[in-house]
Amino acid sequence: MPLHPRLAQWFSERGWSPRAHQLGVLAADEDRASALVIAPTGAGKTLAGFLPTLNALADAPPAGLHTLYISPLKALAVDVARNLEAPISEAGLPIRVEGRTGDTPASRRARQRLDPPHILLTTPEQLALLLSHSNAPEFFGSIKRVVLDELHSLVTSKRGELLSLGVARIARLAPEMRITALSATVAHPHVLRDWIAAPLPGVEARLIALKGGAAPDIAILDSVERVPWSGHSAQYAVPELYAIIKRHRTVLLFVNTRSQAEMLFQSLWDANEDGLPIGLHHGSLAVEQRRRVEAAMAEGRLRAVVCTSTLDLGIDWGDVDLVVQIGAPKGSSRMLQRIGRANHRLDEPSRALFVPSNRFEVLECEAALLAVKAGEQDSEDPVSGGFDVLAQHILGMACADAFEPEALYAEIRGAWPYRDLSRLDFDRVVDFVSTGGYALRAYERYAKLRKMPDGRFRIAHPAIAQQYRLNIGTIVEEPMVRVRLVRGRGFKSGRTTGPIGRGGRVLGEMEEYFFTTLTPGDTFLFGSEVVAFEGMVENEAMVSRAVAKDPKIPSYMGGRFPLSTFLAEGVRRLVATPESWPLLPDQVADWLRLQRDVSLLPQPDSLLVETFPRGAQNYLVCYPFEGRLAHQTLGMLLTRRLERARARPLGFVASDYSFAIWGLADMGGLIRTGRLSLDELFDEDMLGDDLEAWLDESALMRRTFRNCAIIAGLIERRHPGKEKTGRQITVSSDVIYDVLYQHEPDHVLIEATRRDAARGLLDIERLGDMLKRIKRHIVHKPLDRISPLAVPILLDIGKEPVFGEARDSALTAAADELIREAMNR
Amino acid sequence: MSEGALTTLEADAADRISFGGASFVPLVSGGLFWPDENALLVADLHLVKLASYAKRGQLLPPYDTAMTLRRLDADLERTGARELIALGDNFHRDDGPLDLLEADRERLARMAERVKFTWVTGNHDENPVGFAHHGVQVMRRGLTLTHHPVRGGLTIAGHLHPAAHIAINGASTRRRCFVHDGTVMVLPAYGSSTGAMNILGPAFRGVFDRARLDVRMIGRDRVYPVSPKRLITGWDG
Repeated sequence: MPLHPRLAQWFSERGWSPRAHQLGVLAADEDRASALVIAPTGAGKTLAGFLPTLNALADAPPAGLHTLYISPLKALAVDVARNLEAPISEAGLPIRVEGRTGDTPASRRARQRLDPPHILLTTPEQLALLLSHSNAPEFFGSIKRVVLDELHSLVTSKRGELLSLGVARIARLAPEMRITALSATVAHPHVLRDWIAAPLPGVEARLIALKGGAAPDIAILDSVERVPWSGHSAQYAVPELYAIIKRHRTVLLFVNTRSQAEMLFQSLWDANEDGLPIGLHHGSLAVEQRRRVEAAMAEGRLRAVVCTSTLDLGIDWGDVDLVVQIGAPKGSSRMLQRIGRANHRLDEPSRALFVPSNRFEVLECEAALLAVKAGEQDSEDPVSGGFDVLAQHILGMACADAFEPEALYAEIRGAWPYRDLSRLDFDRVVDFVSTGGYALRAYERYAKLRKMPDGRFRIAHPAIAQQYRLNIGTIVEEPMVRVRLVRGRGFKSGRTTGPIGRGGRVLGEMEEYFFTTLTPGDTFLFGSEVVAFEGMVENEAMVSRAVAKDPKIPSYMGGRFPLSTFLAEGVRRLVATPESWPLLPDQVADWLRLQRDVSLLPQPDSLLVETFPRGAQNYLVCYPFEGRLAHQTLGMLLTRRLERARARPLGFVASDYSFAIWGLADMGGLIRTGRLSLDELFDEDMLGDDLEAWLDESALMRRTFRNCAIIAGLIERRHPGKEKTGRQITVSSDVIYDVLYQHEPDHVLIEATRRDAARGLLDIERLGDMLKRIKRHIVHKPLDRISPLAVPILLDIGKEPVFGEARDSALTAAADELIREAMNR
Repeated sequence: MSEGALTTLEADAADRISFGGASFVPLVSGGLFWPDENALLVADLHLVKLASYAKRGQLLPPYDTAMTLRRLDADLERTGARELIALGDNFHRDDGPLDLLEADRERLARMAERVKFTWVTGNHDENPVGFAHHGVQVMRRGLTLTHHPVRGGLTIAGHLHPAAHIAINGASTRRRCFVHDGTVMVLPAYGSSTGAMNILGPAFRGVFDRARLDVRMIGRDRVYPVSPKRLITGWDG
């Protein structure tokens, strides 16, 4: 189809011509094909997505929704609306574009349902909401095109599962609809193409890939300072970083966790002799504060922003001329995305700098540099669908209209993540939605779904639809509490009683979980201030300004991506190949040489296990390079096995690269004398009964269950302001989990929880792959003292969470102490 | 009491609680055995709690009642108690007895045939529908057995769901507990659906003479006496 004259003129007036991939989307649309556009940032992907719509609607468009655009970020929907205004108004096209997010006023949202625009820009959650209304067939029936932006980032999460189900429903309401998906470069584009092809069988899905523009210009900071053995703060590099900020227009400094962001911001501020405008951006800061930083950034008023993954996606800031990654890059695709934030122009190279914060990270940065230069991708593949999201969707579909199970099942199988869903599991989830799915049929009279004489299911009561709409979505926030600054009570002088002051300003929000680990008087960094915890007052955490040399650092949940399998291989290769060491800074190469001389170098296809005594304890250190999560799981399971082997383990600590277990028995001796077999210790069968036994007690399962239960609608979300009305449920999700797990361990929600835990916090698949790889290739190296490679992980003890049987042992200790006290009286 | 049960309990003699001139055995389940009365004291069973949310559209697993009753059965068996004294909030709601699942109703009935039920009422179940009860308090050997802990006289009560949070050697842990000060004793909540509150928190203000606290924390396999100086307010204090 030729470009409409007015659009063609619009292009030529600007001295532009449509790019190949933009025309490719136009051609696909003309051939009634779906399209997956894969292109780096700055390539004009958004315009490519909308060009067929603008072209088709350039003359007298019919009323009704024509194109639905879905993006992962509210801000992106708003931004795209603004970007579309330009061609539409400048080319004089009679097209109405509107956004719809959670922030859109209710009146406008109601109006949109009756009188939709031609192009609606929205989010996966709003799509689910729209689909749950009874007028969905009319609203969506006219749709010709669905544009899915940043699809690569959506499909790896539960939001992607929800989106896939929504798109499958649109495909049924509007069979003429075609999908255009926009994505950054990914490792397996064909999987993403299958994802968009699934809901429209028989329709071609065309892959339109644009090779990346100029290769990025990346360096690793060559510091004159000593790179530390361990830690994540990169304090050593602060003066150099400050000098770099001074030399650039605008620098984005990415760190991996919010606590690192806090620390780095603090140190840069201390070094900021020139009073440069430097901002801080992370997920715990108050929304207004984040918006202020974004606005200042957009206006070019900031010289640097210290940020976390909150700025990975999103709005284009033209002026960023350097991206700095501080700490481990974790993955090649992630780095390519972040680096793309510098210089959003295709023909100029983006510039980036890696700043390792410890020696292992030097190796990881080097591996990442090689991978990024080669354009290697290690992005995650789309995830398959969970029962929790399915339950939410099924209830939503029942809210829209009574459903015929056979037809709904067929429709759901059209969503790629649910392509293999069995009819049996579908029926189990329907039963869960209806009556809770308990073997004990206790709730038939309270069933949410009623079976009608014609076999269809409808909701039992309109109130169920209201309840559904309040609980929509798959993003479950950790329970958060507001952090409020009050006048201190002076812990230094030992007075910890007396009333907590009231009032004062809100610093931000933090996970409630964090405060369960604190005792009043504990200090931590928050919003770049050192504060002391005073106590909880009505769901707010009261803190006071404090002076402390050693504040506890907020151990925020999340934000810690594990090292990608791909980069792990790169690191293993670097370590095992002395010929490549000249690439490394001298101090790091020397460290590896020393390791080779006094112990062994870990090899790619085996596992090095070192044992050595230190103080009163014995250590076992190994180097799988499989990421923190897999190592934690392995550590938990090995500790149990070592206990059975009477090695008397006391605890363990894990990093992305290695982990260490310490205990009272001489583990090296036990191994040497054959009383402890490493092959048996590391046998894959640990993923059977031992894993089950551990999961029985694991807090991880409880945390994961809470998410599943909220998404599936078993537990209502907490809605701000409603906590005290008593309308909200007050039973803790832990109690519900314990009751359900003990009585019905094969319940559909326990199954969903287990799946999520296995692929998320436990990383079972990766651990399984590693155990297979090293089977019968375990090399034991007994040492009389700590090895160079073991130093970082031992330094982590005390900084990283240490796992072990601290719970009942604390009770025993307290009881023993009481007994001693009584006997000495 | 059977021979076996007796030896088990005698072995724990050192961990008995002396209160109001009597001797009690705290159990890991959260129950308190009173050998002199041959009675088992429990507080805050909150029976039929999770199922009570179904009317509002929250279909929570209805198994908490069975779990609680099973533990009760085991405790009665193990101690050989002839009487069950339940100190209020035995049902989560007044209409709990109506919503009992059939199997749970039968188990409760069988229990009532074996032992005497002394059913004190609480704030959640001031008037349990169709369930014989003994009002807000009963007296035994000079002790008041009731739901709300009030000062004045010797009282054993529930209501507050006590938990202790201790810190020692850098580790901290929070568990349900028995706690008394020589005048008032508060039992931990027994029900499988219940949470707990820190005994140093505001809910316990004015209940105890804090200088004379005796605290027994419930561990995985036994009950631990702990030094009150190890108590911390923790995050919910």
